Amino acid sequence: MCERPALVTTRGLSAGRVAGACGLVLAIAVAPVLAAGDAARGRDLFALAAGCSCHTAPDGPVGAGGGEVPTPFGTFYGTNITPDPETGIGRWSDAEIAAAIREGDARGKGVESPAMPYYQYAGMTDADVADLIAYLRTLPAVRRENRPHEGELPLARSAYRAWRLVFAPAPARPATAPTSGVARGRYLADHVAICTDCHTPRSRLGVPVASRYLAGTADGPGGAAVPNITPHATGIGDWSVDDVVNVLALGMLPNFDNVQGYMAEVVDGRGGGPGYGDAPAADRRAIAEYLMTVPPIDNVVGDE
Amino acid sequence: MRKWSLIISSSLLGLGVALSAGATDVALPAGPIHDRHELMEGIGKSAKALGEAAKAGDRAKAATAAASIQESAKKIPDLFPKGSTHPDSRAKPEIWESWDRFMELAKQLEAAAGNVVTVAEGEGELGATTGPLFATCKSCHDDFRVPEE
Repeated sequence: MCERPALVTTRGLSAGRVAGACGLVLAIAVAPVLAAGDAARGRDLFALAAGCSCHTAPDGPVGAGGGEVPTPFGTFYGTNITPDPETGIGRWSDAEIAAAIREGDARGKGVESPAMPYYQYAGMTDADVADLIAYLRTLPAVRRENRPHEGELPLARSAYRAWRLVFAPAPARPATAPTSGVARGRYLADHVAICTDCHTPRSRLGVPVASRYLAGTADGPGGAAVPNITPHATGIGDWSVDDVVNVLALGMLPNFDNVQGYMAEVVDGRGGGPGYGDAPAADRRAIAEYLMTVPPIDNVVGDE
Repeated sequence: MRKWSLIISSSLLGLGVALSAGATDVALPAGPIHDRHELMEGIGKSAKALGEAAKAGDRAKAATAAASIQESAKKIPDLFPKGSTHPDSRAKPEIWESWDRFMELAKQLEAAAGNVVTVAEGEGELGATTGPLFATCKSCHDDFRVPEE
């Protein structure tokens, strides 16, 4: 039976599973969705994605997996996204990698857990994900087996599939990414840097609470407090755009304090990889400008 | 179990932090542990004032703020008597394991703040002096301060 073209990533199908003459004819007839990407642009996106640091252990190597992702459902470990053919993604096609990043489909495994924020990367444009993939393919290949999830979760793959079906919003993906200003800032904040992944509190089932967008939480990843970054007095309401830029560029707070923990890692990079501090300055400023426009939410986190 | 102890301990810490909001930190024992926390908060206030003054081009205010930081830096070594760790203190034991490095950074803070004063009282580019000052704060925090939970 002919499936509709599986080169457009479909839930639950990996390109490799399209079998038979029918699939072969379609594969030849339909142009690939993703054009070859630009690795140089991809490096900027990688930096804006905090060096994909969940996929990097504290002492590196970059992208070789082992980054801890603590959740109320146990600890997940970022997978090896280096080009190693056996333990990494060296044998994956561009479409398969894009499906993992944006759709939650992991080649050979099935639906990913929401610990991988595919539902936020879902809004990344085809051109940007192609560039990011091109860059990932330039990472030094490291042979390191993926670490399994630690924690009890019966029927995990079914649970992840159900979660995606019920909770993952349909991706609002622009044809081309905004190039400047608040619009670019919003695109980067929501779909590349994914600030909301940490800064928006989640429900019991791990769903980001939309009405508390970027309002922070006292019980964030690993139990750490995550600040309110909405422009309310209890958040960054008294800050200037330059103040926000300083956090993203240097981890510097207005009183010359420095962020530590996860935020420091996303700014400085983990394991020798790049972070926000290595991204294009204009993109950091765009994100900062955007943050000043989000709905202000009254939420005190910590003593500041 | 781990999840619950994380939730409980972060709630208690949050409560402790909420109770101690403001200048006086009731959760910390009196003496150097309390006093150095006050000192650091004071440095933070001065630094904020310095940042604002530098941006506004107010050299006099910048000099005053930086001088305050310079004075505070001199007091740092005495406020960290050997082994003065505490569950509510963010001072890491590494301070005393690498005391020379800790002292070096305290001196560096004094020098960096002093440099801001000198430039603010003179004609030089004020904006170029605040970066090294922040870098010193960050270096010490990265090595010797427990991340906020």
